Amino acid sequence: MMEDDDLSLVRHAKAGEAAAFRTLVVRHQRKVYAVALGIVKDRDLAWDVSQEAFVRAHQHLPDFQGDSSFSTWLLRIATHVAIDSVRRERTAQKDDLDEVRETDLEGGGEGILATRLGTNPHENALRKELMGKIQEALGQLPEKHRTILVLREVEGLSYEELASRLGIHKGTVMSRLFHARKKMQALLAEYAGLPAPGDGAAAEEEGGAP
Amino acid sequence: MLGSRPGELPASDQEALHAHLAGCDACQARLADSVALGAALSAALQAEAARVDFAPFVDQVMARVERPAGVRGLLGWLRRHRLVAATSALAPTLAALGLIVYLSRGGSEPAPMAGDVEVTAVGRATVVLSDEEGPVVLIGDPSDSGGS
Repeated sequence: MMEDDDLSLVRHAKAGEAAAFRTLVVRHQRKVYAVALGIVKDRDLAWDVSQEAFVRAHQHLPDFQGDSSFSTWLLRIATHVAIDSVRRERTAQKDDLDEVRETDLEGGGEGILATRLGTNPHENALRKELMGKIQEALGQLPEKHRTILVLREVEGLSYEELASRLGIHKGTVMSRLFHARKKMQALLAEYAGLPAPGDGAAAEEEGGAP
Repeated sequence: MLGSRPGELPASDQEALHAHLAGCDACQARLADSVALGAALSAALQAEAARVDFAPFVDQVMARVERPAGVRGLLGWLRRHRLVAATSALAPTLAALGLIVYLSRGGSEPAPMAGDVEVTAVGRATVVLSDEEGPVVLIGDPSDSGGS
């Protein structure tokens, strides 16, 4: 079992065996990168964040008691590094715009997204076009919505774990997830075959041309 | 509550949700959207990670963790203080300016050259001081001017 194997490698790494830590890096690097990329959006930054997460994990190995799996512990570090990184960038650029308009969040077309995306992601979702659309949509969400979606869907955290990881109440977790999903669905609506979001509202503002 | 996993909701909420879903086609469709979106998002990010060439990754991490703590701390400090790093790129010029100030405020020593020194900056790391006796070339170490 990988978790047991991880703990054994951690013990060796704590004892100073570089090869053991190296194995842990190789084993977890892609998962860490995927989570980091989802949060920070930028590939180069995700690479840097992933590296920093491993360096910090190495520094804090003596503190790892095995209360959670090594993967969970490592991804917790990566999440914090990624969020810090985004917030630093945001402070520098003074923006983290929520690019989803309220008019885009109106209901309708329920189920079409599921039909379009399919239920087997490995069969349907691996198409390049879809990958690009999803990343593009994710990139338009504010950091708090990106982060909670990524932690829920990529890392698979429960409501309780999300509350603990993000330092928010469980009710806030559910509410934030709801809004994050709603925005993603709105952004993907056009790809899923729905009318382009906001087109009607835009037309009305411009004089109501049909 | 749509999209919750077994055990995440109190039993009473879970039962109420099931009862509602059984009679609400719209919420069933929303749930299907939520599940599809989650699976697609996870697949998209993992597929992106799978496309990345990670060959140099582990060596870069190991190079950082195997550095002596003092060097690691200094590099970390430099990364966090980019202004200092940027300033270090100007070190040769600043040194030349410091020399001019020193020459012009030479105290009790006569400073015959002070008025005749001409400073020419060549690149980031080389400064030429020309006085009446000819040029003096100050060559900085480019590796010191890169910052990080």
